[in-house]
Order: sequence, then structure tokens, then C-alpha cells
Amino acid sequence: MNSLFVTDWKLMLLAGCILALTLFIPAPVQAMSGRQVYEKVHELRTRGLDRQTEFTMTLFDKGGGTRSRTAVEYGKKAEGETYKVLVVFKTPPDLCDVGFLIHARTFSDRDLWAYFPEFKRIRRIPTTSQDDSFFGSDFSYDDFGGPPNLDDYTFTILREEVLDSRPCYVIEVTPKVPRKWSRNQAWVDKELFVHRKIVSYQGKEPYRDGTFTDVRIVDDLPTPFRMEMKNLKTGHRTEVAIEEIHYHTSFPDDLFTQRSLERAGK
Amino acid sequence: MKLLNLLRHISLKHLHLQKLQLVMAVSGICLGVAAMVAIDLVNRSVLKSCEDSINHATGRAVLQITGGEAGFPEEMLERVQKLPGVEYAVPVIEATGGLTGDKERALMILGIDVLQDHHIRDYSITDESAEIPDPLLFLAKRDSILLTRTLAGQIGIGIDQEVNVQTVAGLKTFKVRGLLNPEGPARVAGGDIAIMDVYAAQMAFGKVGSLDRIDVSFLPGQDFDTMKARIEAALPPGYDVDTPAGRTRQVELLLGRFRTSMRLVGCMALFVGMYLIYNTVSISVVQRRREIGILRALGGGRMQIAALFLAETLAVATFASLLGMALGLGFAQASVGVVAQSVTEMYLRTSVSELVFSWPSLLLNAGIGILASLIAAVFPSLAAARVTPVSAIRAVPYAADDFLRGWRIKFAACLCLLIALSCLVAFEVASPASPAKNLGFVVVAVILLLLSISLITPVLFAWTLPLTHNLLAFCFGAQGRLAGLNLQKNITRNGVAVAAILCSIALFVSSANTVHSMRTSLFEWFDSIIRADLLVSSGHPLATGGAPTIPMPAEMLGEMEKIPGVQSVEPFRKGRVSYNGRKLMLEVFDVALRMDYCPAMIAVGKRENMARLLPDQDYVAINEGLALKERLRPGDSLVLPTPQGPVRFGVAAVIVSFSSDAGVVWLDINTYRRHWRDPLVDTYEVLVKPGAKIKEVRQAILDRFGGERRLFALEAAEFKVEVRKILDRSFVMTNAVNIITLVIAGLGIIVTLLASVFERTREIGILRGIGMTRSQVLAMVLIESALIGAIGGVLGAAAGIVIGWIEMEGMIRVDLGASIGYHVHYAALLWALLLAVGLSALAGIYPARRAATTNIVEALTYE
Repeated sequence: MNSLFVTDWKLMLLAGCILALTLFIPAPVQAMSGRQVYEKVHELRTRGLDRQTEFTMTLFDKGGGTRSRTAVEYGKKAEGETYKVLVVFKTPPDLCDVGFLIHARTFSDRDLWAYFPEFKRIRRIPTTSQDDSFFGSDFSYDDFGGPPNLDDYTFTILREEVLDSRPCYVIEVTPKVPRKWSRNQAWVDKELFVHRKIVSYQGKEPYRDGTFTDVRIVDDLPTPFRMEMKNLKTGHRTEVAIEEIHYHTSFPDDLFTQRSLERAGK
Repeated sequence: MKLLNLLRHISLKHLHLQKLQLVMAVSGICLGVAAMVAIDLVNRSVLKSCEDSINHATGRAVLQITGGEAGFPEEMLERVQKLPGVEYAVPVIEATGGLTGDKERALMILGIDVLQDHHIRDYSITDESAEIPDPLLFLAKRDSILLTRTLAGQIGIGIDQEVNVQTVAGLKTFKVRGLLNPEGPARVAGGDIAIMDVYAAQMAFGKVGSLDRIDVSFLPGQDFDTMKARIEAALPPGYDVDTPAGRTRQVELLLGRFRTSMRLVGCMALFVGMYLIYNTVSISVVQRRREIGILRALGGGRMQIAALFLAETLAVATFASLLGMALGLGFAQASVGVVAQSVTEMYLRTSVSELVFSWPSLLLNAGIGILASLIAAVFPSLAAARVTPVSAIRAVPYAADDFLRGWRIKFAACLCLLIALSCLVAFEVASPASPAKNLGFVVVAVILLLLSISLITPVLFAWTLPLTHNLLAFCFGAQGRLAGLNLQKNITRNGVAVAAILCSIALFVSSANTVHSMRTSLFEWFDSIIRADLLVSSGHPLATGGAPTIPMPAEMLGEMEKIPGVQSVEPFRKGRVSYNGRKLMLEVFDVALRMDYCPAMIAVGKRENMARLLPDQDYVAINEGLALKERLRPGDSLVLPTPQGPVRFGVAAVIVSFSSDAGVVWLDINTYRRHWRDPLVDTYEVLVKPGAKIKEVRQAILDRFGGERRLFALEAAEFKVEVRKILDRSFVMTNAVNIITLVIAGLGIIVTLLASVFERTREIGILRGIGMTRSQVLAMVLIESALIGAIGGVLGAAAGIVIGWIEMEGMIRVDLGASIGYHVHYAALLWALLLAVGLSALAGIYPARRAATTNIVEALTYE
């Protein structure tokens, strides 16, 4: 009885000490915030702006019809938030040398142009069209632009989830200014900080579902080699498969001029 | 005695016994209401179709910017896009193309910025095909075109197949990249529309660097007036910044005269129907005098008697109006296509796919029919109320009360005439901006004038009839003299029948004279301006709204001049230009060339002054209508918007031109090109060398250019035939209603003569008893009938000549100028008289046969 009392007393003392320690010892490092996760994503995307990508874009309709085209994308990071992107289609022959040029002054301010050789004229694409379809695909012009300005959005981690055997943060991204989509729900790989899936909502209804698979590390940068975007309202989907990608390229500035756009980057 | 009891026990019996009379009355009201319903429905449907076309093509645009038909520089687009508060500003090219091949048809081409236009308009691409439409391919290839599913189905074409379209650059092959579901712009022009990318459309239709329109939407929360002012300030003067509703209003204005004249014709049909009702009720009163007397003797009050007749009319008119509604729907269905085609040919492209059914409108027209019937029945009902028991038993003839020849009616006729004349004088002397210069004044004047003549008709009839007695006796013997005397016995009732015929013939003659005048003046005018032997265009040379007039490049002129047999080639271009809220017609040609061989009709100013129109002098000639409305004279000036900004042009002369109601401006082609930067040509007018054969030159032109484009090369005579066809089509509805009016008048004659025959049963029996043969009785009644028609016809023809002049003055000259002469169509007058006599004789056959077959014994015992 007595020994038991002593034992209890010691145990109580030990528990008290532990309690005291927990009160006075600093807490361990907390989980990342949504913004912090996106800062990592942003950093990786910014590092990957100097690149050359060859890709195939395939459009599928809900009846199974397909149209494919191949293109080369050149990117160049400059001072501050400035970057430039040039996309030139190679096939089919009807689309050969059709081009698309972005000049970003900041992450949220950019000019877009398209060039169609048959018309021999450059068309300006208004910035108000950034959420519009990228030439009939289910991707938007914005998807082909560089990283976004994080200050234009709020980020909230909803939960953590395993997606295709990969642990992910599920983050709600809400634009501060009106966009075609009211919010995105993004699955960001916890280790690689790349998107694995993005669902875009208009109001409460999801309207676009994107998945990013076959993630490979290229020049230290995790890169999804297959991207699929599906329009949930029309049933159309677009698949982008990267054939080849090189980072840390160093293209001359005159590759990204309107004149170069007219010459298909040649 | 309750009214319902009277109706049940007395009226029903009477209606049952007088089935034929009932059928006539119902038919008359029914046809009158049907004409009004049909005209109203057709008017509404055509207008709705035009408005829908605008609205579908407009989408969510809050404002539309236009700058004349030749377009304006596309740099303006960026100016507007950059303005604060502008959400979207999208470019539009509007052109007309022609589908060639087995199923030729005009095609409206809408050139849009495919990358942005969905923000303004809704497009739905059909996904029934295995191959999905490819927007990038659509953008990248300038042969890309989207057709509507409706059109593709009609011409049997699918995605990735090719269509040949007539464009400014000649015949072009386009590839169908997708099919549009019938939504938004795909519903315009009944689906006869094709969508192209704006830059491809610019190239195909000779508008490189130009736009026809910019459609603008605002960011939420923007003030409309502020935004409109901001846009106007950002553009050079002369641009129209208007709402889509404003464009709809312009369509209403454009079709205003057409719709009003149609309504006037509809009212006339009902007006004539009122005579029928008047006569039917009057005859009913005569036939039921004894019954009325007994009712009065039994204690029936005067008002009860009047109410009984009005209630009968109400019942019959309600039934007839309901039938008229249904018949009117049928008429409208049958005629809407023709009217739409006419509107397309004369005003703007429209395609009515369905009638705009409106219960309030149908009920309103039925209500007007019922009200008109009641008004027509008021006088005979009051006359019935005045029947005393004694006069009824003595069988005093109804005509004896002679109300319609009394001083009250004469006074009313004079009053109507006075008001009609006042309206006309007010209209004539009013300035163009005055509210008195309103079509309504003319319509009121015409109606009051007809009313006045109608009211005085029994008096005129009484004066005229004795003059015919000797002639009738000379021509037809005893039966002729008897016929005249019979009509004399009941001047009032027969006078009403004459008035009905008078009105119908007046309408017929006035329409014929108006059409004839327009046709004659148009041909005189064409003779003065068209001296070319051949008119070469890539569409119908007269097309204003529908047929594909695809402009041709200026370079064709040189090529055409090289063709053997061609003496000279003159380019002609037409367009629209805004001036004081009106869309003036701009007619552009080579003044130097035209002055050599074409004696243009000059209304004010000297012919030498036309030399001021020569190149490098900013002068124009304007037509009389514009000069009148804007109070412009030679020596004045007007500022016209051009793509380079507003330009002041001096007025060199006032010319005769009937090209547009809104006003016409003539301009030298070099001056035009200098200011408008528009090198295109709508028509080449070719003069053939003396001795050369026109047909051979024509064939040579077609051979030379036929491979590149589809050309129309019309000889001047063929051109005039086309003009005649279009004019004739534009009056098809008027003619149809005129026929209805004549039929109603014919029904009136049948009713009148039947009553006369019934009333004279005993008399006819006596005539038969003393030896008159059946054929003589038949002839007597037929002569009566024909005489009613002849007198009505003569009076109607005279009234028609006056009304035609008023219509010309109020509806045509006010817009097209005083030079449009008034020409009496003598052949139509003759036709009108023959029609009046023939129709009346036809209407008299049944009563005549009935009279001829009268049993002598029964007739002698008839009371």
C-alpha cells in the first residue's frame, strides 16, 4: 500500500515536470502555410523559366475525335519578375509557324501576341483574355504563362491527402480580383512542390479538372511530363505530353521579339 | 321584357330564317377582321425578325460603334479597348456573300475576333461530328468558315467540306471548320449566316485595315452616359456610338412608312365591312318592322328595341371576329413570306421563320371589328327604335325616314371634309421638323375624306340616278327603266351599297395610281441616269438588303475597258452615311464621264453646277427629299462623316433621285476615294461602241471574268423588268387586301339586292302576272346590281384619284421629292369600272335568280 503510494507520488512529480516543460519549452516547427507552399512552387517555376520544351498537344472531344499538334516553347527569365515566352507550332502543316509570344513585365502584367503566317499579321491578345482557351485547347493562356503573382491570391491549406501514392497538400487558391474561375483546389506534392492536380470552380461547380503526371527530375527541377486538362462542362479534354525539355538555357533576347514571332523563332 | 329573352325568342328565330343574310354579315366582318389581323401579324413578324437579327448579332454589347458603310480604320479598336471602364471592345465585319453552286443563296458574313467575340456573343459549336472543330486551325487558315447547322443541312454540307462563296476578291473556296447550333448570331437571317475570323473577312471582302463596327461592353458599375461620352470623345467626329436599341429604332423608322400604309389598307377593309353591317342591320329593321311594331305595342321601349338590334350585332360581330382571327392567322401565314421578301428587296435583309403571335394584338383587332360593327349598327338600331306601332302595321317603307339624306348627315359629311382638308393643309404647309409633318395626318385625312364621301353618297346617288333612267330605257327597254326606278325607291339603302363599292374602288384606284406613278417616275429617272447598255455587278443591281451585292475591285475597270466593243466603263459605288440621325444613301460615280452622256434630272440649280462635283472639289449633289427636310439649297453646305473625320461639302445642285427615303447624296468617285479610302465598286456601267452587239459584249465580259467571280451583266431593259418585279412584289399585300375589300363590297351588294328582292316579292309577282318573263325579271335585277356597281365605280374612281394624290403627297413625295409625278393609271380606271360593274353583276346573280323564280301565286299572296 505504502510502496504503491510512493510510486504514485513519483509518477505525479514526473508528470508535473513534463507538464512544466511543455509549458516553458518552445513548440516544435509548425506545418507550412498555403502561401509558403506556393512560394516553394513559385520558386521552382521561376527557376524553370529558362527552358526549351518540345511538346505534343492533343485535343479530344467527348465523342472520341482527336486533333494533335506539336510545338516548341522557348522561355527566358530576365531581371526581377520579367520573363518572355515564345511558342511556335510545328505540325500539322496547316499550323506550321503559328506562334504565340508573351512579354511579362511583372508576374501579373504581361502582353500577349499571336502570329498567323497566312495573314502575315500579329494579333494582340488582350490581357482580359488570360483565362480564355489557349487556341481551342482546354488550357488557358494563363496556363502557358509564367508563375503568377502570389499577392494576387489567397492560399489556404484544406487538408493533406495522398494522391497516386504521393502525399500532397490540398490548397484552396482564391483570386483577389474577378477571374473566370472563382477558386482553384490544388494538390501540391509535399516533397517536390509541383502540382499534381488542379480543379477549377465557377461558383460551387467545378468546371475544369487538370492532372499532372509522369513527374521527372530534369536538371534538378521536378517536371510533369504529362498534363491533362478536362472541361467538365463540355467533356472536351486536352493532353500535353512533353517530348523533350532542357532547363537553364540561355536564349538571346532577339528570339523573343515580334519580328522573331513572325519568323517562327528562326 | 328582358333583353336576353328577346334575343332568345325573337333574334334567334330571325337569324335562323335569314341564314343567307347572316352568312353575308359574318363573312364581311370576318374578312375585315382577318385583313387587319393578317396585316398586324405580318407587320409584327417582319419587324420582330429584323429586331431579332439585330439583337442576335449584337449579343451583350452595350454600345455599337459604326462609321459608315465603307468602314473605318481598325486603329480605332485599340483606342476603345484602352479606355477605362471598357470591358470588351470587339471588331466586327458585316458583309454579304453569295453561296454558289446548286443551291445559290445570299449569305450574311459576320467577321469576328474569334479569340474574344464569345465575351459579347454566344456561340455553340455542334459536336455531332466525329472530328472536333479546331479553333486554332480556324484562326490560322484564311479559308476558314463556320456555317449554321440549319444552312449546312439545307445545302448538304458537313465539317471539313468546301463551299464556294462569291466575295469581293471573286469566287473563293472556303472550308467549313465547324457548324453552329441555332443560338445567338446563328439565328440571324434565318440561319443564312456564316462566321469568319475578322481578318479573314477583311481580306475576302476588300476591307483590309477597316472595320464595320466595334461592339463594346462595360465593366460592372460603369455609368452608361459617362462611358458613351468617353467613347465619343476618344473617336474622331462622325462616328455613331449607339445602343443596339437605337439600331432597332432605325429599323422601325425604316419600315415605318411600309407598315403604316399596310395598316391603312387594313383599316379600309374594315371600313368597307362597316357598310355591310350597316346595310344588314338596316335591312333587318325593314324586314322586321311588323315585329318591331308589335313589340312596341306590347310595351317595348324605344331603347329596348335599339338594344335588341345592337345586341344581335354584338353577338354576330363577336362570332365573326373570332372567325376573322383564325382566318387572319391563315392569311398572315400565307403572305408573310412574300412580304418578308419584299422588305428584303426594298429595305433590309429579313427572314421570317415564324409568325409573332400575340393574344393582345389579336384581341385588339377582334375588338376593333366588334366596335366597328356596333358603330355601323347604331344608326339602323336607332331607326328601329323610332318605328311606331302604327307605321309598322301600315308597312311604311323604311326608306321613308330618309335619315341618311337628312341635314345632320350632310353636316357630318361637310365636317369630315373640312377636317380632312385641314389635316392636308396643315401637313402641306408644315416645316419638315414640325409635328404636323406626320404620316398620321395623311392617314386621318384619307379616312375622313372617304367617310365624308360615303356619307354624302346617298345624296350623290339620288342626284345621279335620274340621269341614268333614259339611258337605261334606251339600252335595256322596260326592264332597264324599271331597274332605275326600283333603285330610286330606296335611295338610302342602295346608296350604302354604292358607298361600299365606292370605297373599294377608291382604294383600288388610289393603289393603282400610286404604283403607276412610282413606276413611271422611277423609269423616267432610270432613263435619265442609266444610259449604259450593260450593268455589270456581282449581285442583283437593285439589291439593298437581301441579294448578294458583293463589291468588286477597282482594277476590274481597266480590264473591262480592254474588252472589244466596250466604249466606256463607269464605276458606281453606293453606301450609307450618317447625317442628323438619318442614314443617307451615298451614290458615287465618275462625274466627268457621266456628264458626257447622262442628262441627270436636276430639280434645283443649273446643270453646269454639276461640274463642281468633279475631282478635288468637295461638292455634292443632294436629292429633293433631303433638300426639303434639311432646308438645303445649292450654295449651302453639309458636313458628312468620313473615315478620316468630318468633311464639309458644298451643295452643287439638288437632283432628282428616288434611291432612298432617307435622302441621297451624289459624290464623284475620286472625291469619295480621297475621303473614304474605299477602292471598291458595286456596279460597272458599260457603254457599248456604236455598231457593237450588246449581247456579244456582255458574253465577252462574262467570259473574261466568269472564271474569277460570278457576275450579273444586265441589259438596261432587263434591269427595268427587275425593277417592275420588285415594285409589284412590294404591293402584293396591298393588292390582296384590296381584293378582300372588293369581296366585302360584293357581299354588301348581295345583301342589299336580296333585301330589295324580298321587299318587292309582291311587286315582282304582279310584274310576272302581267306578262314579264323570267329572263326579263332576271335582267332587271342584274341591271340594278350593275347600276349600283357602275355608279359606285365612277364615284370610287374619282375619289381614288384624289386619295392617290394625297397618298403620293403624304407618303411618297415627302421623302422622295416633288419631282415624283402623279400619274393617273387610265387602264386601271377602266379596270376598276369593269370590276365594279362585273363584280356587282356577279353579286346580283343570286338575288336575280331568286326574283326570276318567284312563284306568281305565292308572290301575290305575300305580305
